[in-house]
Amino acid sequence: MSSDPYDLVEKAIDEGSKLGAKYIEARYVNLGGNTSILKNGVPELGGIVRSRGIGIRVLKDGGVGFASFNEINKEEMKIAVAFATKMAELTGKKRKIKIKFSDEEIHEAKYQSLGESNKRPFEVTPEEKMNKLIEIDKTISELKSGAVIPFKFFQLNDQTEKKFIVSNEGTKIESEIDLIQIFGLIVAVNPNTGSKEQDFIQKGKSGGFEAFEYWNIDEYIENKAKILSKIVTESKEAPKGTIDYLVGPNVIGICVHENTGHPSEGDRILGREGAQAGESYLNKEMLGKQIGSEHVTIIDDPTLEGSYGFYLYDDEGVKAKPRYLHRNGIFEEMLHNRESAAFMGTKSTAAARAIGFNREPIPRMANTYLAPGEFTFDEMIEDIKKGVYMLNFTEWNIDDRRFQSKYVGLESYLIENGEIKNLVRRPVLETTTPKLWGSVDAVGRKDLLEFDAATCGKGDPMQGVPVYHGGSLMRIRNVEVR
Amino acid sequence: MVEKTDSQSLLELIKKKLEDLSFDDYIVHLERGNRSQLRFADSQITIAKNWASMNIEVYAVKDSRTVAIEFEDLSKETIDSSLDSLLKLANSLPPNQNYFGISDGPFSYPTVDSLVDTEFLDFHDKSIDSVISAINSAEEEGAKRSAGVLLWDISEEKLISSRGANINTNSTSYEFTIRSFVDAKSSGFGLTVGRLMSKLDFEKAGKTAGKIAKRSKGGINGEPGKYNVILEPKVAGDIIAATPAAANPFDVDIGFSWLKDKIGEKIGPDFVTVYDDALLPNGLGSKIFDDEGHPTGRNIIIENGILKGFIHNTSTAKKAGTISTGNAGLVAPENTNIFFEPGDKSFEELLEISKNKPTLYITNNWYTRFTSYVDGIFSTIPRDGMFLVEKGEITQPIRELRISDSMLDIFKNIKAMSKESKQIKTWEVQTPVFIPYVLIEDVNITAATS
Repeated sequence: MSSDPYDLVEKAIDEGSKLGAKYIEARYVNLGGNTSILKNGVPELGGIVRSRGIGIRVLKDGGVGFASFNEINKEEMKIAVAFATKMAELTGKKRKIKIKFSDEEIHEAKYQSLGESNKRPFEVTPEEKMNKLIEIDKTISELKSGAVIPFKFFQLNDQTEKKFIVSNEGTKIESEIDLIQIFGLIVAVNPNTGSKEQDFIQKGKSGGFEAFEYWNIDEYIENKAKILSKIVTESKEAPKGTIDYLVGPNVIGICVHENTGHPSEGDRILGREGAQAGESYLNKEMLGKQIGSEHVTIIDDPTLEGSYGFYLYDDEGVKAKPRYLHRNGIFEEMLHNRESAAFMGTKSTAAARAIGFNREPIPRMANTYLAPGEFTFDEMIEDIKKGVYMLNFTEWNIDDRRFQSKYVGLESYLIENGEIKNLVRRPVLETTTPKLWGSVDAVGRKDLLEFDAATCGKGDPMQGVPVYHGGSLMRIRNVEVR
Repeated sequence: MVEKTDSQSLLELIKKKLEDLSFDDYIVHLERGNRSQLRFADSQITIAKNWASMNIEVYAVKDSRTVAIEFEDLSKETIDSSLDSLLKLANSLPPNQNYFGISDGPFSYPTVDSLVDTEFLDFHDKSIDSVISAINSAEEEGAKRSAGVLLWDISEEKLISSRGANINTNSTSYEFTIRSFVDAKSSGFGLTVGRLMSKLDFEKAGKTAGKIAKRSKGGINGEPGKYNVILEPKVAGDIIAATPAAANPFDVDIGFSWLKDKIGEKIGPDFVTVYDDALLPNGLGSKIFDDEGHPTGRNIIIENGILKGFIHNTSTAKKAGTISTGNAGLVAPENTNIFFEPGDKSFEELLEISKNKPTLYITNNWYTRFTSYVDGIFSTIPRDGMFLVEKGEITQPIRELRISDSMLDIFKNIKAMSKESKQIKTWEVQTPVFIPYVLIEDVNITAATS
C-alpha cells in the first residue's frame, strides 16, 4: 500500500525518536529527467528517468546509520528507520571517538530555481531537444576547415528535482530545482598527418532551456570545433624551460576545484574519504596560514543564481553562504557538513550535499572560483617575455592529497615579449599546489570572470554532483617545464 | 510480515501496456536488491548503510526509434503515464540508423557456478567483526590507522522481451577494500572481493595493506625518466585491462577507444590472451543473460597478443557483420569480467627479470585521464606504496611520480606476467578484472616541478 511521501517522512522522524535516535533526518527526493543521445549524427536514444525515494539518516550512541527505500510505504519506512537506528547504535558503541553533529540554527524554508515559462525541462518537447543536438552536429559536420571531425557525441540531460528534508530538530526545507546539461566529445583529425585532438564539451546550469541562448550554444560549439581543427593543423611545439603561464577561466576553474576545493573538504582532512577520493595536504593547524600569494582569494558560493551548483540550504538544512577557502592567499575556511564541523569544534559551512535520496550528505563544493583582481588582459600579458596563454585544458589529474597536479593545455598560444603568437600543442603545467598558488602575481578584472560546469566525483557509492568553477585570468610566474 | 510490491505483476503490467501501445519491440528488466555497506576511517566505522531498492528499465522500439525509461518511482500511475510519454517520445524522434533489432529467441542459458552464496543471510551479523579483523591485521603489520569499505549485496533480476526472453536470476556479492596508513604519506592497499563469503579473506587484505604501508615509510621524491614497472593486479586492472575494455564498438564510434581498425593486429606479446568471460565462478561480473536477454558466454578479445574482436550487442554485431557476444547494455555493449590468462612467472621472477634496468614496483594508482582516447595517450598517479627495485630486490620507497604514456605502447611493452592472479573491483576499477602482476618495459614516468 503506497503512502503520501511527505507524510511518510514526518512519520519517519516520529519513528526514529521512538527508537531513541539522538538525531534523525528524512529526505524525500522526486526526480523527473530526460536524456537525448546523438552519436555521429544518429539519434541513439531518447530516455526518461522517473525516480523517487526516501533516505533516512540517524545519529545514535556516537554512530551513524543510513537507509533508503523506493517502495513508498509505511512498512518500508519502519524497516529503514529501524536499520539506521540499530546500526548507528551498534557501530557507535564500538567507536573510541563518538560522532557528533555541530549545533546549527534550525530553518523552515521553501525555495526554487526554475526555468523560464515554457522552457522548463518538461515543457520543451523531446523533438525540440533532439533537433537541437542534430542542428549542432550538422554545424560541425559542415564546417570548412583543414581538419575532419569523424567522432561526434552529444548528450543532453535535463531534470526537475523536488526535495523535502525534515529532522527531529525541526528542520523543514522544501526545494524544487531545474537543471540542464549538455555534454559532448568531438575529435578533430588532420587528414595529412593523422594528428588528432579531442575536446570534451560540458555546459550546465540551474534553470531551463533559456540556457541555450545564455550560452549561445551554437556559436560556442562551432568555435570549439574550429579551434580544435586549428590545433591539429597549425599548432607548434610548446616551449620548455622556465616560463610564465597566463591561464583563462577554464584552467583557473579546474585549479581552484582540484588544488583548493577538494583539499578544503572537512571529511577528507579527517581521513573519512581515505580509501576512496583520498585525504588532504591541508589540516586544521594550517588554518590562518599563507598558502598562496596575496592575489589568491578562492570562494565557493552555492547561492549564485542560475549556477550549476545552486542551493540555498544544504542537505542538512543549514543555510548556504559564500565560503572563503583562501583569502589573500591565507587558508581561511573549510567545506564542512555537521559531522566534520563537530570534529573540528566549529560550525557547518553548509557544504552537505547528497546526489539522491539513496546517498548520505557529505562535504562538497558548489560553485568555486578565483575572486577577480584589478588587471586588464593587456596589463597581464605586456611584460611576459616567454610564456604560454592557456585558455582551456584537456587531460588533468592530481594526487589524492591534492599536492601535485598536472594540467595539459588545449587551446594554448605562445607568448613572446608581451605578444600572442602561434598555437602550441599540449603545453603541460605539472606542479605542486603551493608552487602554483605561490606563483600567482596577477588576477584579471571582474569583466573577464566566467564559469564552466562540471560533475564532481566523490563518495562511496559515487556521488557525481553538479558544480561550477571558474575565474577571470591568472598569471603564474616562473613555471619550470621539462 | 511486510507486503512487498509484487515484481511479477509490475512486469506484466508494463508488458501489457507496451503491447497496447504497439511498440515493435521491448525489453523490460527489473532488479530488486538489498545492499549494505560499512565504511570506516581512522580505524573506526563511520557509517552503516542499507539500500532496499527496486528498479525497472524499459527499452522500447517503434519504427526504429529507440527509447528507454528507468523507473525508481514504482507507483502504477507514474508507470502508466510514463509509458504513454515513452510512446510520444518515440514518435517524436528520427529513426536510429544504428538500430538492427534485439536478440531473437528461443534462448538457452548457460549455468554459472557460485553466483549465489547460500550463507549470505548469516553475513550481516559477521560484518562488523570482519571489518575489525582486517583493521587489526593491518595494525599488527605496523599500520597506525585504516580506512575502507565493505559492501555486500543480494539481488534478484527478471527480464522479459518481445523476442521471447523470460528469465530471472539471483546473485550475491561482497566487496572489501582497505587502505592503511603509517603516516599521511605512507600507505598501503588491500582487497578481497567475490560472490561467496567463504572465498573472502579479510585478515589477508588488512595484512597486505599494513605491510605495504609500513614498507613505504621514509619515501623520497622520485626522479622522472624511463623505467620498467611491475604493477600490482590492482594497477594492472586499471591501466592494462583498459585496452581489452576499449574493444567496444560504441566507444570506437565516438572516439573513446584506441582500437579503431585494429582487429587482426598484434597489439601485445604472444603470451597475452584476454577474454570477456561472463561464466567465471565467483566473478563479480558473471551473469547468464545480458540486457537484451541474450545468453552470455566466454568471448576472446585478445589471443596471443592479437586483437581478435570486440564485444557486441545485437545492433553493433549486425553492423559489424558478426553475432552478438551477449554483452548488451541498455545503450552500449558492456564488459562482464575481463579475464587475463595468467603468466608463467612468480612475483620474484618478475623482480629478477628486471634487475638490470631502473624499475619501479607500483602497488596502487588513481585518477587515470586521457589527453587523447583515440591515441590512448594518458597519465595516472601511483598512490600508496611505490618502490625502487634494485638488483632484483624491492628497496627504496618512492613518491610523487606519474605514469604518462600511451595505452598501446604499454600493452605492447608487457614483458612478463605472474602465475598469481587476483580478482579486482574497486572504487577506481568498476569492471571486474582477473589479472596477474604485470611487468612492463620502458614506461615514461614524469614528476611535478617543485
